[in-house]
Amino acid sequence: MNPTIDYHALAPEIVLTVTVAVCLLVDLVARRSELVPRLASLGVLGAIVPVITLSVDGANRTMFGGTYEVDNYALVFKGLFLIVAYLTILVSFHYIGEGDYYRGEFYVLLLTSVLGMTVMASARDLVTIFVALETITIPTFALAAWRKHDTKSNEAGLKYFLIGVISTAVMLYGMSVVYGVSGANKLVGIREYLVDTNEPALFAVGVFLTLVGFAFKVSAVPFHFWAPDTYEGAPTPVTAFLSVASKAGGFVALITIVNIAFFPSKGSWQPVIFVLAAASMTLGNLAALRQTNIVRMLAYSSVAQGGFMLVPLAVAADVSSNSAWEGVVVYLLIYAGMNLGAFAAVIAVARRTGSAEISSYAGLGRTDPALAVMMTIFLFSLAGIPFLAGWFAKLVMFRAAFDSGTTGAVILGVVAAINAVIAFFYYAGVGRQMWFREPDPAVERTAVPTPLTLNAAMLIVTVGVLALGVYPQAIARLGELAFTPG
Amino acid sequence: MLQRAEILGVRDFYRDYFAVAVLIGAALLMVGAMLGAGRLIRPVRPQAEKYVTYEAGSDPVAGWGQSNARYYIYALLFLIFDVEAVFIFPWAVGLEGLGTFGVVEMTVFIVLLALGLVYAWRKGVLRWA
Amino acid sequence: MEWFDDWALTLAVFIPLVGMALVLLIPRAQEQAIKVTALATSVVTAAVGIGILVDFNYDKSGKLQFQADESWIDVISSRYHVGIDGIALPLLILSMLVVIGCIIYSWDHFPEPRNAKAFLALVLLLEVGMNGTFVAQDLILFFIFFEVVLLPMFFMIGVWGGPNREYASIKFFLFTLFGSALMLVGFLALFFTSKQQTFDMVQLTQFGGAGIDHTTQMLIFGGFFLGFAIKVPMFPFHTWLPDAHTEAPTVGSVLLAAILLKLGTYGFVRIALPMLPDAAKDWAPWIGLLAVIGIIYGALCCLAQTDMKRLIAFSSVAHMGFVMLGISTLTDFGINAAIFGMVAHGLITGMLFFVAGSVQERYETREMSRLGGLLTQAPKLGWILGFSAMASLGLPGLAGFWGEFPAILSAYDPSAALDGIAGSSAFTTYRTFMVIAAIGTVLAAGYLLFMLQRVAFGTPKPEFENAHVHDVHVPEWLAWAPLLVLILVLGIYPNLLFDVTDGAVTNVSTLFSG
Repeated sequence: MNPTIDYHALAPEIVLTVTVAVCLLVDLVARRSELVPRLASLGVLGAIVPVITLSVDGANRTMFGGTYEVDNYALVFKGLFLIVAYLTILVSFHYIGEGDYYRGEFYVLLLTSVLGMTVMASARDLVTIFVALETITIPTFALAAWRKHDTKSNEAGLKYFLIGVISTAVMLYGMSVVYGVSGANKLVGIREYLVDTNEPALFAVGVFLTLVGFAFKVSAVPFHFWAPDTYEGAPTPVTAFLSVASKAGGFVALITIVNIAFFPSKGSWQPVIFVLAAASMTLGNLAALRQTNIVRMLAYSSVAQGGFMLVPLAVAADVSSNSAWEGVVVYLLIYAGMNLGAFAAVIAVARRTGSAEISSYAGLGRTDPALAVMMTIFLFSLAGIPFLAGWFAKLVMFRAAFDSGTTGAVILGVVAAINAVIAFFYYAGVGRQMWFREPDPAVERTAVPTPLTLNAAMLIVTVGVLALGVYPQAIARLGELAFTPG
Repeated sequence: MLQRAEILGVRDFYRDYFAVAVLIGAALLMVGAMLGAGRLIRPVRPQAEKYVTYEAGSDPVAGWGQSNARYYIYALLFLIFDVEAVFIFPWAVGLEGLGTFGVVEMTVFIVLLALGLVYAWRKGVLRWA
Repeated sequence: MEWFDDWALTLAVFIPLVGMALVLLIPRAQEQAIKVTALATSVVTAAVGIGILVDFNYDKSGKLQFQADESWIDVISSRYHVGIDGIALPLLILSMLVVIGCIIYSWDHFPEPRNAKAFLALVLLLEVGMNGTFVAQDLILFFIFFEVVLLPMFFMIGVWGGPNREYASIKFFLFTLFGSALMLVGFLALFFTSKQQTFDMVQLTQFGGAGIDHTTQMLIFGGFFLGFAIKVPMFPFHTWLPDAHTEAPTVGSVLLAAILLKLGTYGFVRIALPMLPDAAKDWAPWIGLLAVIGIIYGALCCLAQTDMKRLIAFSSVAHMGFVMLGISTLTDFGINAAIFGMVAHGLITGMLFFVAGSVQERYETREMSRLGGLLTQAPKLGWILGFSAMASLGLPGLAGFWGEFPAILSAYDPSAALDGIAGSSAFTTYRTFMVIAAIGTVLAAGYLLFMLQRVAFGTPKPEFENAHVHDVHVPEWLAWAPLLVLILVLGIYPNLLFDVTDGAVTNVSTLFSG
């Protein structure tokens, strides 16, 4: 009884696995250390090829007794993760290459984490989701502490590790309860159980614990406190990766599990997500207002952005069409691009000034206008100002809230609207430093040129943010496709 | 009739445990025999070093670390292959059904794990110095 | 010209965007090339505008013309739908005209820290947003253009502004962003409560809120109201305006006063009133009340100002009060007056800010206590200031009169639809408004003459006695001449404008004739 394996469907994962193995071996024998990042980026691009061929093919491919599915939904996210991985490698190339870092291992761990993400996109049962989540997370513990001689980085790694372990334990316990009550491991099985049976109160406990575990992973308030310290201490490319890819990984798991499994048991998950969304938006924004370090500010801003992303999820049960789910996906895709861009710009600025203080951005518009323009585009896109892609993310979020039309949803929508205004204040604060202030003579600047890879990453994101801002249909269509059966 | 059947069931139950008891007895005997044989055969030359916790010579008291970090690496490497064994066992049970495909898959699995060992070896982790 | 009909409005909106891209591509050192490109762009855009003026069917000014309706964001059923009628046409042309004036005006006089490239790029981006707002016929498209103007104005105030620019720019942005966030919320609520589930403004206007229960309508209108009223700005949401105007560079002030404020009033006429007429009836008396408070409050604040620009800024609050009063009557007459008022205010206040900027450039102060004797030192500039001030206070024969006087008059006889809503009788309420607004015109005469007297009359103060003050120079003449001519022409022959707007206004006012 040989299981039938669809190698085409698994090709992205296989390519990534081979790349990881090759990178590991090459790092052991090669003298030139930049060979590994080059191979890694080639591998990622290679993994995108089957994603494209699979999307062209369009058929749903189910494997392993329904626990692993390659459908449009999975492909959209696989594409996202691979593109983010590619951009992260571009951003890391010089940062990791020039510092006192283990170079080869960095990319091996990075790609392993990405491998976990591609698996996550297809995972359709509790165990696979769990394994994928751990594959995503465990390499990042080490990556967060990659600045070996920096105590902050060590603290970052340790904090992230401890929180990661606790959240894993909580989530696993929740999943066990869900499995114990429903007797199903596959998500569709849990759904069938919920449809057929009146679930006991214990099921809600299981759901609650599972969601709390995810809340840690996506750093939703009140489970966010690790994020600013970890983000600040970790090397900046890793922070970018954590705040974009890891977070997206957590979100994908959350969407999959709520959409497919927990959906009929609305009462057990909706209130939790509702509270997480409102608290993350509000507290994330208020905390971001007070930051003087740009990485910490972006950390809190990503907490708040996570809150915005949870809004459509919180109302999805009351929306008849798929538009709320599409809203989360579209928000996630756009957020990934603009946040990655912002971190790339932070790295580029830090190369000049060696500082991540917001005050060191003073006068950047004079000293390096191109960089300042791109940073401005990323930040104002995050703020949701029109014709930059961020506006459409905000729009689909509001749209979901008003589509549902329940009083709670409308309140959540208004809270989101007010938060969108508050958020503008701190994003504009950086813009103000860059454009309205004179360069601070006390800040030492080195005239090192921004490396090509970093510029390329920023340019790709800039073009994307502008193009999608003007023609959002492209990304909205992706969101729609994700929930269209192939 | 019913009663008799139940009694028979209980007997079977105890009979199973009897096997366990025999096994424990055999194990104790074996350990005792080995230690005893050692005692009889080896020469006795007591030295201070031989009475510390780790015979390898590392000091369990000095510094704040209770043991040498190297042990962790060994423990980790051991764990990898321990887990491998856990996977191989059920695989071996079902190997007949899995056929060639099963062999190939397990080879891939072992090779991937072995890569870790190769890495550790190349990085000099296995050298104790 | 089939081709032109389909593309005219798209060209009018996006030529400035292309121009902006070109400006950004030219190296900063080639300032001359940058300026020529920017000017050429704005002139070409205006040429399209003239083409529209020529081709526009004035007999059917109530009908949307030059329509283009293409798919844009299907997923949220939003389309790229543009079109223009008699209400939007004058505002679109005004916007094109003022932008040319601004580019010419700043030719040799870029405010510190200069950087012509960035400055002109922002002006062109502003034009994209302004033109786009006036032609958009889809709520999402409207929202985008409505918001696009924020960023360039934010940077214009923040980078080229006065000493308190950081505060002013953030305040401007936060106020308007807050308003537009709630406006967007209103758009979405309207989308989901309306049966057709469309963002198309034409369809929503035909639909007129039918089937939406009254409370919901009132709430949605509230969202619209906040969005537009902050932009206008109406009392008590006006506090961002004096700061923004005072700190902004001259060109920024001009664009802000001449066009950006109109986006708010235009929104009322184009979106809030026709799409939710039932709610509009209930809101109208309150809008009227805030409008007259604005008129009096703005005038009183003017009397207390010592800074010339701040005085003009507060006068904007008062003038926009007249516009809003006209709109709140819900009559054909009142709304026509309001649109005339928008255009007139755009021309006149734009001129006043230009002159204030030129005065500041020459004396390096706007403190009226330090100024004086402009007529002796720079007689032409002094006369232009006098002319604009007269126009602003509503002197018959100049454009300002036709904005203000009919608006007041319209309050004498508000729409019959309002009867029974505003207290015992709408007539009593609105006639009270009328009397108060009339007092406002007296105050307006007061503060404008007061300004004129202190700035233009008398003799120069000792500190400037021997200063060599250059009179109006060529770029200033070129920039101002069209505005001055229009103020005069519209003042003498107001039907030039009323004839264009009336057809379209009737569409709105008939909703309230019952």
